[in-house]
Amino acid sequence: MLKIKGNLRGELLTLYKEKGIALEGSILKLIDCGSDEELSNYIKEVSEKDREIRKKRLEITKQIQAQNIELKELADKNEEHKKQLEIALKEAEDAKKKIELAKKEVEQDLNILQQKTQNQLVESIVKVSLSIIVGIAITVTIMFFVKEDNQIVESAWSNMFGILLTNSFSIIGTIMGVKYASGGKGMVPVQTCKYKP
Amino acid sequence: MIDSILLVDDENLFHMVFEDACSLLDISLSLKAINSADEAEIYFKEIVEKNKRKPDVIFVDLNIIGSSFDGIELIRKINYDYGDGVVIGIISSSSDDTEISRALKAGAQFWMVKSDEIEPRLEDFKKDFEGYVTRINTFKIYK
Repeated sequence: MLKIKGNLRGELLTLYKEKGIALEGSILKLIDCGSDEELSNYIKEVSEKDREIRKKRLEITKQIQAQNIELKELADKNEEHKKQLEIALKEAEDAKKKIELAKKEVEQDLNILQQKTQNQLVESIVKVSLSIIVGIAITVTIMFFVKEDNQIVESAWSNMFGILLTNSFSIIGTIMGVKYASGGKGMVPVQTCKYKP
Repeated sequence: MIDSILLVDDENLFHMVFEDACSLLDISLSLKAINSADEAEIYFKEIVEKNKRKPDVIFVDLNIIGSSFDGIELIRKINYDYGDGVVIGIISSSSDDTEISRALKAGAQFWMVKSDEIEPRLEDFKKDFEGYVTRINTFKIYK
C-alpha cells in the first residue's frame, strides 16, 4: 500500500480543490490513508467519481458493442440474401436456357412433322392421279378391244396417253426440283399436277 | 484482488468493456490488452528473456482476427513453452463442445462465455481465482 505524506498530500488536495484534477484508476485502490480524514475523504470522493465515469463508459461501450453486433448480424443477413439472390438468378438463367432448348426441339419436331405431312400429301395426290390415269387408260384399252367404234376410243386413248406422259414428267420434274432445292432433305412445298386428266 | 490480467482479444471495444468491468468489480489492479496472438507470443518471449513478472491471469479470445494462430494454440504455446504458474483460459462468444475440449487439452483452466453481461461471470471467476492458482479447481465453464 502507498502512503502519501508531506507536500505531495497537500498538492494533491489543492489541485483537486482548485482545478478539479484528481487521481484516478487502480492507484486509488493502493493508497493507505491511515488516520488522515481529509485524505480519506479525498480518496473516497475521487474513487466514487472514477467509478461513475467508468460505469458510464461501460454502459456506452456496451451499447456500441450491441449495435456493432446488430450491424454485423445485418451485414451477415444481407450477404446471405445476396448469395440466395445470386443462386436464384443462376437458376432462372438455367431455366431460361432449358426453355429455349425445349422451344428449339419443339420447333424442329414441328418442322419435321410439317415436312412429313407435306410429303404424305404429295404422295397421296400422285398416287390418286396416277390411279385415275392408269384406270382410264385400262378402261379405254378394254373399250378399244370390245367395241367396233374405234375412232373415239383411239383419240381418247391417245389423249389419255399424252396426259399420262405429260403429268408423269411434270411430277418427276417437280419432285427432283424440290429435292435439289431442299438439299436432299425432302420436299417442303406442296406440289400438285399441272394438268388434270 | 488479482494484481495483473492479460487480455488477448482483437476487439478494441471489448478491451474497454473488460477493463471497466474488472475495475468496477475490484477484480484486478492492472490490465494489459493485446490485439493478436502473435503479439502475445512476442510479449511472453520478452517476459521470459528479461525475467519480468508474468501476468496472474490470461484471458484469450478463441478466434483472434489478424493472428497466425488461434487462441487455443496460444494457450498451448504459453503453457508448454513459457510456462508455469499462469492461470489461463478462453473468453469467447462461442461455447462449442469441440473447441472447449481442444482448449482443455491445450491446458486451459476455464472457459468464459463473452456476452453483454460479463460482470456476473467475472465475479464468479474472482471467487474461484485462488483455486486456479493452487490448481485445486478443475476446468470450469462460466456461462
